[in-house]
Amino acid sequence: MHSKQSKWLWAAALFAYAFLYLPLIIVVVYSFNDSKLNAEWVGFTFKWYEILFHDAQMLTAARNSLLIGLITSICATVFGTLAGLAMYKYKLRLLPLLVLTPIAIPEILMGVSLLIFFVMLNMTLGLVSVTLAHIAFCIGFVAIVVRSRLQGMDESLVEAARDLGATPVQAFRLVTMPLIMPGIIAGALMAFTLSIDDFVITFFTAGAGASTLPLQIYSMIRIAVTPEVNAISTLLMLLTLCLILLASKLAPSALRAE
Amino acid sequence: MKKILLALMLATGAVQSAQAEDVLHLYNWNNYITPETVKNFEASCKCKVVQDYYGAMEEMLAKLSAGAKGYDVVIPTGFAIPPLVKQNLVQPLDKSKLPNAKNLNPAFLDAAFDKGNQYSLPYAFTTTLVGYNDKKIKELGIDPGSWSIIFDPAVLAKIKGKVTVLDDSREVFAAALMYNGFSANSTKPEELKKAQETIIKAKPFWAAFNGQSYIKELTLGNIWVAHGYSNDMFQANTDAKAAKRPFGVAYSLQKEGNTLSVDNMMVLKSAPRPDLAIKFINFMLDGKNSAQLTNLIGSGNPNSSAAQFVKPEVKSISAVFPSADNMKKLQQLNALEGKALRDLGRMWTQVKTAK
Repeated sequence: MHSKQSKWLWAAALFAYAFLYLPLIIVVVYSFNDSKLNAEWVGFTFKWYEILFHDAQMLTAARNSLLIGLITSICATVFGTLAGLAMYKYKLRLLPLLVLTPIAIPEILMGVSLLIFFVMLNMTLGLVSVTLAHIAFCIGFVAIVVRSRLQGMDESLVEAARDLGATPVQAFRLVTMPLIMPGIIAGALMAFTLSIDDFVITFFTAGAGASTLPLQIYSMIRIAVTPEVNAISTLLMLLTLCLILLASKLAPSALRAE
Repeated sequence: MKKILLALMLATGAVQSAQAEDVLHLYNWNNYITPETVKNFEASCKCKVVQDYYGAMEEMLAKLSAGAKGYDVVIPTGFAIPPLVKQNLVQPLDKSKLPNAKNLNPAFLDAAFDKGNQYSLPYAFTTTLVGYNDKKIKELGIDPGSWSIIFDPAVLAKIKGKVTVLDDSREVFAAALMYNGFSANSTKPEELKKAQETIIKAKPFWAAFNGQSYIKELTLGNIWVAHGYSNDMFQANTDAKAAKRPFGVAYSLQKEGNTLSVDNMMVLKSAPRPDLAIKFINFMLDGKNSAQLTNLIGSGNPNSSAAQFVKPEVKSISAVFPSADNMKKLQQLNALEGKALRDLGRMWTQVKTAK
């Protein structure tokens, strides 16, 4: 009985993973296809990657995406960690509401409202406005991750440090922070991915010359999904994979269920 | 950490200061200007061209209406122009600085959406027509030069399940109206009713309403006839040739008339560099520059002096340079409002749900 059940579970898992990963694998395979059509295999080529690396628009978009993602993840991690700490320490009703609302609000609403807000401030839309918008919606995600990590922490460790004469700052730096580090890193990674990936909010807040990869790809697929899009998607997947590996090196427990 | 932050600040600073140079910001469809043309313009104006793209006219309208600034030139389709002008987002064009405007074919000037071309000048156009598998259609002895190829049940019987039409109520109704000898912009209930009957009778023979992937389907030979845009048919034919298919994708205008979409260049009121914007428009009105786009994507060309620079195989396509006779039968779709829009919506739903 038991083994039969586990067989079914395995089959279900296999099916689910095939559903999730096969499309990704197909994208990778077809990025090496020597045909403009995604429909049939003609031959192996690197030419789409070559075209990609000579496509000034694409490179600018990639640079914009990485720059925005990097600044967003740094800022959102700092503010999100602080927000997470505050939510954990002071059980205020209002604070979680304030921090978490941007997560729950439909993206399109967030995008439009930010656009109107920036226009009201007479701010020129560009890389800065996109970055500010990204930081705004990423803080909540980081805060949640950090708070849940704090909830799993043994508070007596901090108390012990304080008893042994550590100042609050020392206790935070030497005890709390190392303990919640996996949460912070996971939050930072999440912020980076969300930023790289976001289309709706970016669309509304990006100004002249601040196109990101998702905006660029979206405008390209209006005609058809070209192998160049497959190539850039493959590179993005590779980047994501590297980030996950990096994270598991930096904070092995961040990726482990506890 | 501080050092990283500082480096990032410097990096963003560098990006910002690069924007302070002479830069023209173009807001356009993707793949709607050749890299070569951009390079030539950059050399002639000693400036840099930065492009941003939209995926749909509505996107561009939404963004500009909400107050996005920083773009100099935008290239909207005809129907999107009145809303932009109404919202006071566009500058009138100083014609004295646009000597190349004389190159334009008068047939494309003075359109209903911008009488007297106060704000806009045509850039390129597409026609909506029928693209087809040249081998199959010839074998079957079907006349592709009439809308009967997608509407007449007697013709459709031979190509059942191999036809797609655009998933666009305006375009499909316009085609059916023209097939019945009415204006593509007709709002008369009895004429619309007739067009609807035509569509419902033909629908069982169609494989799908498809506005996205018909280029690919045609190229692969999965479908033989597609109602779609001339640029897309050009692309399908190019792809079929590149894939060494035993057939080509051919297309020509229909004798009952076709719809025409003209894209136009405009200078935004908020343009940071209106001087460069005007220079750019004048540059694009030069026949040689205008021809480059036509050679690349097979877009229709409203510029009379471009013909001499267009490749012969492109020039011979009637959808790119329509004859004077064909020109008379091309109709631009008006923007629909209020009741007319609701009526069409209702009729379209009936079409979609009809068995």
